[in-house]
Amino acid sequence: MKLNIDGLLVYFPYDYIYPEQYSYMLELKRTLDAKGHGVLEMPSGTGKTISLLSLIVAYQRAFPLEVTKLIYCSRTVPEIEKVVEELRKLMEFYAKETEEVNNFLALALSSRKNLCIHPEVSSLRFGKEVDGKCHSLTASYVRAQRHGNPNQPVCRFYEEFDAVGRQVPLPAGVYNLDDLKDLGRRKGWCPYYLARYSILHANIVVYSYHYLLDPKIADLVSKELAKKSVVVFDEAHNIDNVCIDSMSVNITRRTLDRCQNNVDTLQNTIQRIKETDAAKLREEYRRLVEGLKEANVARETDVYLANPVLPDEILKEAVPGSIRTAEHFVGFLRRFLEYLKSRLRVQHVVQESAPQFLKDIFDKVCIDRKPLRFCAERLQSLLRTLEITDISDFSAVTLISNFATLVSTYSQGFTIIIEPFEDRTPTIANPVLHFSCMDPSIAIKPVFQRFQSVIITSGTLSPVDIYPRILDFRPVTMASFTMTLARTCLCPLIVGRGNDQVALSSKFETREDFAVIRNYGNLLLEMSAVVPDGIVAFFTSYVYMENIVASWYEQGILENIQRNKLIFIETQDAAETSMALEKYQEACENGRGAILLSVARGKVSEGIDFVHHFGRAVIMFGVPYVYTQSRILKARLEYLRDQFQIRENDFLTFDAMRHAAQCVGRAIRGKTDYGLMIFADKRYARADKRGKLPRWIQEHINDGSLNLTVDEAVQLSKHFLRQMAQPFSQVDQLGLSLLTLEQLESPEMLKKIAQIAHQT
Amino acid sequence: MASLSEEVLLVVKKVRQKKQDGTLYLMAERIAWGPEGKDRFTVSHSYSDIRCQKISPDGKAKVQLQLVLHTGESTTFHFANESTSRKDWEAAKELLQQLLPKFKKKANKELEEKNKMLQEDPVLFQLYKDLVVSQVISAEEFWANRLGGINNGESAACENKQEVGISGAFLADIRPQTDGCNGLRYNLTADIIESIFRTYPAVKQKYKENVPHNLTEKEFWTRFFQSHYFHRDRISTGTQDIFSECARQDEKGLKSLVTQGVKNPMVDLLSLEDKTLDEGYGISSALPSTSHASRTVKESSNFAIIKRFNHHSAMVLAAGSRKRDVPADQASETSSTDGNSRDSDFFQPPLKKVKLQEAIEYEDLQQENRPKTVALNLKKSDRYAHGPVPLQSQQYTTSQDIINSVNYIKHEMSNYKPNLTQVLSSAAASSAIAALSPGGVLMQQVAQQAINQMVPTEIQAELKHLYVAAGELLRHFWTCFPVNTAFLEEKVTKMKSNLERFQITKLRPFQEKIQRQYLSTNLTGHLECMLQAAYSKFHIWQTRRMMRKT
Repeated sequence: MKLNIDGLLVYFPYDYIYPEQYSYMLELKRTLDAKGHGVLEMPSGTGKTISLLSLIVAYQRAFPLEVTKLIYCSRTVPEIEKVVEELRKLMEFYAKETEEVNNFLALALSSRKNLCIHPEVSSLRFGKEVDGKCHSLTASYVRAQRHGNPNQPVCRFYEEFDAVGRQVPLPAGVYNLDDLKDLGRRKGWCPYYLARYSILHANIVVYSYHYLLDPKIADLVSKELAKKSVVVFDEAHNIDNVCIDSMSVNITRRTLDRCQNNVDTLQNTIQRIKETDAAKLREEYRRLVEGLKEANVARETDVYLANPVLPDEILKEAVPGSIRTAEHFVGFLRRFLEYLKSRLRVQHVVQESAPQFLKDIFDKVCIDRKPLRFCAERLQSLLRTLEITDISDFSAVTLISNFATLVSTYSQGFTIIIEPFEDRTPTIANPVLHFSCMDPSIAIKPVFQRFQSVIITSGTLSPVDIYPRILDFRPVTMASFTMTLARTCLCPLIVGRGNDQVALSSKFETREDFAVIRNYGNLLLEMSAVVPDGIVAFFTSYVYMENIVASWYEQGILENIQRNKLIFIETQDAAETSMALEKYQEACENGRGAILLSVARGKVSEGIDFVHHFGRAVIMFGVPYVYTQSRILKARLEYLRDQFQIRENDFLTFDAMRHAAQCVGRAIRGKTDYGLMIFADKRYARADKRGKLPRWIQEHINDGSLNLTVDEAVQLSKHFLRQMAQPFSQVDQLGLSLLTLEQLESPEMLKKIAQIAHQT
Repeated sequence: MASLSEEVLLVVKKVRQKKQDGTLYLMAERIAWGPEGKDRFTVSHSYSDIRCQKISPDGKAKVQLQLVLHTGESTTFHFANESTSRKDWEAAKELLQQLLPKFKKKANKELEEKNKMLQEDPVLFQLYKDLVVSQVISAEEFWANRLGGINNGESAACENKQEVGISGAFLADIRPQTDGCNGLRYNLTADIIESIFRTYPAVKQKYKENVPHNLTEKEFWTRFFQSHYFHRDRISTGTQDIFSECARQDEKGLKSLVTQGVKNPMVDLLSLEDKTLDEGYGISSALPSTSHASRTVKESSNFAIIKRFNHHSAMVLAAGSRKRDVPADQASETSSTDGNSRDSDFFQPPLKKVKLQEAIEYEDLQQENRPKTVALNLKKSDRYAHGPVPLQSQQYTTSQDIINSVNYIKHEMSNYKPNLTQVLSSAAASSAIAALSPGGVLMQQVAQQAINQMVPTEIQAELKHLYVAAGELLRHFWTCFPVNTAFLEEKVTKMKSNLERFQITKLRPFQEKIQRQYLSTNLTGHLECMLQAAYSKFHIWQTRRMMRKT
């Protein structure tokens, strides 16, 4: 259908539309008009992606000079591929409706592991290996060597691409990962480099968060993306953790040992080159004197995305003299390394700020702040000069140099914690230096600064006002949408008591309590008898799940559950869990029914959807608080309190509730889907917890279901499931939660739609 | 009787039944008892009729065995030989134990089949009521030539009979009971053993290797339950356990399953993340280290339990679908020889595409746009289900054809222009109309009042039943001809008497009823005709036989 969104003609590739989609597009349009950032929460399964794509594509067509590019970031590879497929649908619809040739270029970009077609390289299992091998075949000096030595192996796909691939831009169309690989095979071009090259002139780019948020990758891939782009972060409920992860560094003794080897190798290589090709080193020296001027020019003209690891000031100056020659730099690295080693030889936990660390390093080994800041850049230059083929071998020394640059650049937002041993095993010495980022806004700041509109969206972003605070930006729109439903297809229940009136809770004091564990077991047992097909249960942590499973086993509860359904359990091994997951789906598919025991914050809770019969009920055992005894977390909480005036408890609850919402939200993936959401902890009933659940879940919790016993919950579930099992057709939805174009245009519906968006 | 040719498996003398001494015979297909001194059996039960056997408890003075039939009747045998009664009883019990299950399935299946036939076919059910329940013919006679059909169908059904899966909790069903002196008793049934073998082929392998050469069956299972294999949470200590190898094999199987990876790319957690953080970056410390060295005993036992559940569930699931998988495996093996399947990329996209399409579909947002069809309006659904098999598919028109032709006719009709020069004369037309009107020359038959307007519906229904019943009996009767065996002779005489009985018990009352209601007695004329024809045939046959005999 063709919609009129606030004066903009939007092609929507379906015959019907959900009211909230219309409302969502309205908000989105406002954000784009204002050229500002937005935070939008819309329930999963209400067609968020297609709404986003429809509107932004329409906007791009209407105002090609205002918005030149859409950068769509998602979290997982399947998500990325799904987005591209939805986009393909939209584009086909455009082609059909307008009957003109579309000149839109849209493509997905993923890591080499997912795009490589080189027979040897692509057979490697781990992404890091693929990257390393690829680099050893495609690095510029490797290819230069080939001129002298034809036996030098190179990647023929890259050679082919380099020779002709850049001359003609990729023809318009929608390219998913597999399409790129097909094209690559046909033409003999490397799909990865083709994609990386093509994103510069593509209208729509779909890739993962890291390409924008991880400075190490962003610098390579996304540096030159146009300023007039709209950036969308989908599934963004965890965006702060992604930011923090990309800026944090851990250094163990093993890292230092490997780093030592790296430095030795560097030293030897330098020695060798000095004897054979001294000119090369002199050339490098000259370049370093010139400074990083070129990069500076580029950034001043606003062509490049700023790199938080490589701050602006560095670009203005030449590399300091003390590390300009290769030998001096290696010596410098050695000193730094020795210093770190000495720091790891501690007997007690040390926590200090970056300035304290810098002062200490100056006092002890006379290393100045300035050369430290150039460390990362200087190392890159050296590696290039020395023509090191396998970069992945040098990950340790790269890590150290990145750390050096970060610690000397940011006096705020980071903390250094040195732990001599793990808390659980105080007898085993395993010193770790955590350099941890506490301020997610550092990594994302360049994105907000550079791009005109950044949209942060997800099914679970409640409370929406906290994200602008922790990411430090000013959105022009913040909205939370509800799900309009013709039938209440979700049933959140809070089970606070067992049948014996024992209060259910996963809180620390009652964690080992047998009565609680037994009641949890009873809940699962009873549910396994009434819920058809699949049940997914989430525990607060892996250790907790292990303990509960063991005691259920001893008490014979698991045996009884097995009478009703098969049991599969998430393990810490991803391959094993994948298999369990597939078997779980198989068991749901063939009618036997199964239970998946899983962990909040685990991989399953983040990336796997349980549509329809794969998840008829989700049980959340306990409130998934993060492990609060960790020093890093404590430091972060302190920082949040001091910098953003967010109280520790507020943040912890927010974090726990967003994960709980994420877990239970896995079961509902659309209006035709239905599922139970069981919160098995009495603490969920409290207003401060409940209030932090997304609005679309919250509004279905009635006061009667706040503190149920197991039996009551089973009764309510039975009733709910029976109701839901009745046939449900499109006609039932029409006019309520599903609209035709005429219905959409009626004034009373428009009035209703205006209420869907909950402005904050 | 033909019992002499039967194989007699066991003969037990001095068995009392109803206070009468006699001999118990266990034969291949039935159990029989005859009183002493007589050479015929007063009690004879086919094994398939026996629901179960009940035995008197150990140590009771009277050594008895009771057989309960499906019909609910029971027969009790008392083993009265003082010296060997217990031994006899043991032997009989053992043999029955082996024999009964074999017939049980068959019997149950037959019963089930009969039940199903009666439930599905109301006409047959009525017939059954008319003939069997009112004791016109016996149930056996009724089923005699129907079961042929059943058995034929059965043999076909047997081949692709649905494989029954395994209960997920079959191990839990083996409830150990304490026997009072520090021991545990496990009750194993054939079903459970079957489940164990199907779920854990490694155990079956062990069983084949060790029983009965090295171990007795009992010892084998004792060891099984003692083994660490059964109690997975216990950490393996010794290697002398014969099941430790099973555990290793399982481990290997699990590993290979894991390394095979998953077919559905949407659940592959390994390739979920696009770009993992390099080593050393990120806040990884939140996770406790999980290297095996640092695990405590409790932790690794928990770990073993979790592994075990995953494995067990996977095996149970696989056992249910193993039958189907075998040909698929072979197929994949053969295809792998042509070298294509090496490259996973050739096979991955279709599944992946399908899954992706599934994932982005919003069924309710789409218009249902299936091709337009003519709605099927069934008045009698059974006729549809059991309708004639199309021999020539060309004769059938697709719904699209029908729609087209309807459209075509509509089109024709709208464009119809009467050709007024070439019409019938009005006289001819009116005479044709008159001939086709009720009462006209061509419509005389219709003019008669239809039977369904004259006779009340209940009489009609009754008449129908009578017709069906009579037809059934007559069918039995006529199938006896030509009468060339003694059995058929016997049957034809019996059928004749059946027919007579039918006439007296069913037809006569009906006729009287009709007369009472002053309806045309003509109704049953045809029925009587049919019976008469049968009687005359019988007479002819009988007189011929007499003549031949004399």
